[in-house]
Amino acid sequence: MNSPYKMADLGPVRPPGFFQRIYSVWFRHIRVYTRHLISNGFPPFVEPLMFLAGIGLGLGSYVGLIEGNTYIMFLASGIIVPSAMFTATYECTFGSFIRLEFDKVYDGMISASLTVKDMFIGEILFAGTKGFFFSGAVLTVVAAFGLVESGMAVFTPFIGFVTGMMFAALALFVTSFVRNINHFNFFFTGLITPMFFFSGIVFPLDNLPEFARWLAAVFPLMHAVRLVRAFFFNSFDPWLFFNLAYMILFTVLFGGMAIKRLRRRIVN
Amino acid sequence: MQELAVKATNVHKTYGSLTAVNQLSFEVPIGICFGFLGPNGAGKTTMMKMLFGKTGRDGSRGGEISVFGYDPKDRALEIKFFTGIVSQEDNLDQELSVFQNLMIYSRFYALPGKQARHFIDNVLAFMELSDKKEFQIRQLSGGMKRRLLIARALLNNPRLLILDEPTTGLDPQVRHVIWDKLRDLKTQGVTILLTTHYMEEAFQICDDLIIMNKGEKVMQGPPAQLIDTYIEKYVLELLHTGDKAAIPAGEGVRAEIMNSRVLLYADDFETIRQISDRFRAGDFILRQSNLEDVFLKITGRKLHE
Repeated sequence: MNSPYKMADLGPVRPPGFFQRIYSVWFRHIRVYTRHLISNGFPPFVEPLMFLAGIGLGLGSYVGLIEGNTYIMFLASGIIVPSAMFTATYECTFGSFIRLEFDKVYDGMISASLTVKDMFIGEILFAGTKGFFFSGAVLTVVAAFGLVESGMAVFTPFIGFVTGMMFAALALFVTSFVRNINHFNFFFTGLITPMFFFSGIVFPLDNLPEFARWLAAVFPLMHAVRLVRAFFFNSFDPWLFFNLAYMILFTVLFGGMAIKRLRRRIVN
Repeated sequence: MQELAVKATNVHKTYGSLTAVNQLSFEVPIGICFGFLGPNGAGKTTMMKMLFGKTGRDGSRGGEISVFGYDPKDRALEIKFFTGIVSQEDNLDQELSVFQNLMIYSRFYALPGKQARHFIDNVLAFMELSDKKEFQIRQLSGGMKRRLLIARALLNNPRLLILDEPTTGLDPQVRHVIWDKLRDLKTQGVTILLTTHYMEEAFQICDDLIIMNKGEKVMQGPPAQLIDTYIEKYVLELLHTGDKAAIPAGEGVRAEIMNSRVLLYADDFETIRQISDRFRAGDFILRQSNLEDVFLKITGRKLHE
């Protein structure tokens, strides 16, 4: 096409860099979350309280020592990390779905100088941050019960951070398939809840048949529980490197697939 | 030599077997308001979305898009940095107040806090929303939300503004305010692209426009010129015509017969006035033709969905 016009030149255009963009997304989520700090901050403190009081003290008196610890100690060390799993999973299933389909938050964000990748990496980091604080909240309650013996326990919220990111990646991957919000029930009932019961949190896996132990190792939560217990009891073994590697690999793999699939849903 | 803000050449987009945009080409000089008109499903929104990478164009047909020299295929980030986008749907952050919406959004552009506050005050004042600054989104009316969406799009001092049906569903007052603001922006040198199916809107604010139908460009030109070129100057609308056979046509008069009305078109006013004399007042409307007449003539009167 022969045109009498030439393209205008705007001079240098410098959109914000990658880390700045991710930070801005993370900040958006933090901002929204902390608007309702009281109602949002309530559950992570109260739930472990009920767990420890109801199951730890109540049921614990019928249970003997586990790996040399009382049952309430075993349980206390176990419940630090699932709070990170649950909060990240809720955030990136129902939360993300609502942002995607009902509130159109992603459509609004993507109209600014952000990419789909920025949005979801920022979101995964936010879920990790929530995981950090939720684990920290549980740790605080556990400490208030006088159940913390090693100073190394202060590092457990960092495992909560990695756990939050890992489950955010998985949840976003699931969300990328979901067209009807009720379908998340399959994910929660079919995967998240059983994982809570079969990852060595409420009872040790050692007495399970071998195939069940292998099965538990396939699912991500068990690895997080092992890491948290290591810091909680200050007792480390070389297998923990494998556990950490599993979590990181899982996050990158599912996060990458989720972003790829969600991009196709948002950019069409 | 005049400069271009946007240039599209043979742009094509298909969804499965549906062709949304078919070999569309156009050029938008800097500083004008350029409109896309067409019935629902004509491909207007798809075309808009392709400009900033919200929708990818078909690569196999070799179409090209340049927005101030940037191709949305791989430089959407740059395009979105200097382009304000107002989509058809309200996508404000329901969980935040008016001010927080804008504050969060300014961070997506990495505006420093102090500057952001200053810009926010400016865009709110410009869109006449200053007194709504602390409102929650759900407290806003449809017109306020739309104005806020435009304010948000203006935050980063855009050189290009893309609006997808900016006044659909709004009351006349709000529509006129928005048109005024868009004219203002144009005088400030902002290039505006908008889609609409309000002919009045296109006529009021567009310097140049494309009428699209089924993904294709049907015609292009300034609104007044389109009316001049494609339709007779005057229209006589006959209402309650019982006996359609008795419709007087004649030299220089074109008749369009519909269910309950007959439309007569002519370039000569005297001819058509004389016809109107045969009817009682209230049974006819005699008026100048408008863009809507052109639009309906070109795209047909049948429903498109």
